[in-house]
Amino acid sequence: MTHFLTKKSVTTRRKLPFAILSSAALAAVLALSACGTEAKDAAASTSTTAAETNTDTAAETTAAAEPATTDDAAAADEVDEATSAVREGAQKMKDETAKFQKALAANDDAQVKALSGSINDVWLSYENTVRNQFPLLYTEVEKYEMPIFSASAYDKTDYASLTDHAEKLQGALDNLLTAKKTSAAASEVLAQAVTGYETYVREQTDRFVEETQVFADAVKAGDIDKAKAAYTTSRAYYENIEPIAESLGDLDPKIDARLPDVESEEQWTGFHRIERSLWEDGSLEGQDKYADLLMTDVKALQAKVSELKLEPEAMVAGAMELLNEAATSKITGEEETYSHTDLVDLAANVEGSKAVYFAIIPALNDGHQELADQLDQQFQTMEKTLSQYNKDGRYALYTDLKTEQIRELSDQLSQLSELMSQTAKIL
Amino acid sequence: MKKGNGMNQPKKGYTRREMLKMSAVAGGGLAIGASGLGAIMKMFGATDAPTKPSGETSSVANERLDFYGAHQTGIVTPQQTYMYLVSFKITTSDRDTLIGLLRDWTRFCDLSTGGSSAIEANGRLLPPSDSGESVDLPAARLSLTFGFGPSFFSQDGTDRFGVAAQAPKYLGDIPRMPKDRIDETLSGGDICVQVCAEDQQVAFHAVRNLIRLSAFTASVLWMQEGFISSPPGNTPRNLFGFKDGTANSLHDSDSGYRDIVWCGEDEPGWMQGGSYLAYRKIRMLLEVWDRSSLKDQEDTFGRHKDSGAAYGKTGEFDTVSPGELPADSHVRLAKDNGAQMHRRAYSYTGGIDARTGNVEAGLLFLSYQRNPQEQFIPMLRLMSQMDKLNEYTSHIASGMFACPGGWKPGEYIGQRLMEG
Repeated sequence: MTHFLTKKSVTTRRKLPFAILSSAALAAVLALSACGTEAKDAAASTSTTAAETNTDTAAETTAAAEPATTDDAAAADEVDEATSAVREGAQKMKDETAKFQKALAANDDAQVKALSGSINDVWLSYENTVRNQFPLLYTEVEKYEMPIFSASAYDKTDYASLTDHAEKLQGALDNLLTAKKTSAAASEVLAQAVTGYETYVREQTDRFVEETQVFADAVKAGDIDKAKAAYTTSRAYYENIEPIAESLGDLDPKIDARLPDVESEEQWTGFHRIERSLWEDGSLEGQDKYADLLMTDVKALQAKVSELKLEPEAMVAGAMELLNEAATSKITGEEETYSHTDLVDLAANVEGSKAVYFAIIPALNDGHQELADQLDQQFQTMEKTLSQYNKDGRYALYTDLKTEQIRELSDQLSQLSELMSQTAKIL
Repeated sequence: MKKGNGMNQPKKGYTRREMLKMSAVAGGGLAIGASGLGAIMKMFGATDAPTKPSGETSSVANERLDFYGAHQTGIVTPQQTYMYLVSFKITTSDRDTLIGLLRDWTRFCDLSTGGSSAIEANGRLLPPSDSGESVDLPAARLSLTFGFGPSFFSQDGTDRFGVAAQAPKYLGDIPRMPKDRIDETLSGGDICVQVCAEDQQVAFHAVRNLIRLSAFTASVLWMQEGFISSPPGNTPRNLFGFKDGTANSLHDSDSGYRDIVWCGEDEPGWMQGGSYLAYRKIRMLLEVWDRSSLKDQEDTFGRHKDSGAAYGKTGEFDTVSPGELPADSHVRLAKDNGAQMHRRAYSYTGGIDARTGNVEAGLLFLSYQRNPQEQFIPMLRLMSQMDKLNEYTSHIASGMFACPGGWKPGEYIGQRLMEG
């Protein structure tokens, strides 16, 4: 039912084709960095509901956001062209969303689908300006807009979920209506980016542990089909943050080693050990102990991640490593030797690097606009291509792809990596 | 023999009849060394050892490496620019047939290292005896280095050629290492030949004709070609742009080579003065590397890229302080392990991987050492587990070969092994 929020929901779209970051995750990236670069007036700050799934810290920082209080009236008259374009767009979008909400209430399927498309059209008309002016609010709007747009491609309409998204979208757009640009020190911007990203990592890890539990339970229950499904779901969260895991001791080999990586088969544990059982042997016999070990290891990872403190360099380097991962083992089909679900991993690697990109947009905007634009464009291209291989939330198997298709993905990945390698300029 | 400058110089090669005459004169096994050739040619009224025709400038191109000596050439010889590595499987089970091949090869090596070709006047209806592409070319520092793999001595428990008892002490296939992606079809072999020269055409000519000569006795398993280039006196750089082989300077002396490279009295006679060749084909992920920051690259090795100096030092040859290098850096791991070897690697390039557009390229890692079990394998194991370089590399082929001590004129390759 929450298929919009799952990582694998995808449709063909002009822009970002799938709900990349779960709402909680995006909230994390945003909310903790919500103060500083954008001022919201006191009234609007209460509607930063994006943060509601987040911790108290978020509320604190929002409250501490630079209030445009005393010079409110005067400032309101002094918005520049860009900001007024943003406000215009935001209002139009609010109107469309209101119609959308009506259609939802009336269970009017056709209208819902049509309007989800038109909402996206409005967004596309001014989103670049939003990204340049108010990058943090940009990601907030994106977060709710994407699943709404995705809905237009699905056969079934999930009314409950869409209603929730529409409401949150309205909240985000309200913020946009009253946002005013302020400046913050570059180092502060970067520090906030890191904090936001750290929260993203923690979020992903928590989801990872939850889904791995589902997987482990299925393994121990001997339920092959359930285990196969949960294998993919849980691994996607891991592949979002793999370089972080790699930097935390030897948990990565325990969790994610492939057979050629280990010194001897007796030492082989983790996902791929069970993968072989599931897909090659077609059985879960004897896998209970690996499931237990896996849970131990992922929980150990969770504990370490909870104390994680990253430097900006490490965060930016992590984005590169994710793309390198994709380029060296996923694109070659080496990662998922038995299940051939490499595309899932690849998409997750791209998604993970996008989380870093989101976090550093404010820093990029400060003097590296062109790079930011190029990255944005390239992520879109990459995601669009990937979406071709996704049907109803499931990716094609690596073995189904033709060489030219792999090549196309590889070329785009290379281009994305080239751009990402330049982001160290912000440091 | 070099071609003259237009005057009535003798042909580059000599006829079969002449060769037979010469061999009768030389007596016994036909191994007329470059030094011996001059003497023999004199007997036939031909000119002496090649005079450099006027107009030729490159002394390196003309330089010949003596095929004979206490040690085989191509081991501690300064690296020539081009290298081929070719591995054979011996298809005969007959000792004498094998020895016949070894004699033919010896004859061929003798001639080609001297810049000559065995052109026989067979008549036009027969295939030429030599492929001919190097007939106008000088010796170009050609070296041919022969090594015997574990399977030569014993395969599936069978002593194929009656030499199992002569097996050298430390020979064995390199065991499986973590992260290996070894392609068995590119690995191992009964006999491996490392052919190096300053001219690729000269080098390939040698490889090709060795293969041709082996028609009834062996078949080619695999062949690799490599290159390495640097101004004289400079440590060459690999495709990562880093200097490769700096540590060789540590043992660059007769006693150093004795300690590190040359096999000693604990080995059977034929192996003394020889060395073990350890070979790894290491694929380099150039595209990923080229997108990495300079800091990442330098952290991977623990040396500065341009100068070659280790972290904390200024000169390439300054003694390394391992503690100043990142814990997982390549050089740090090598120093912590402490083993020394003689490195002699070459870069290689191949085709394009259709799936990714990546260039197939990397390093043909070659090292020579007197005891690979102590000097090579432990370090390899350590690095396969910990080396940051692993992020950019993949080991895709492997081999270990025992290279005998050097040959004497009149001896055929491996004679002391076969007849020991």
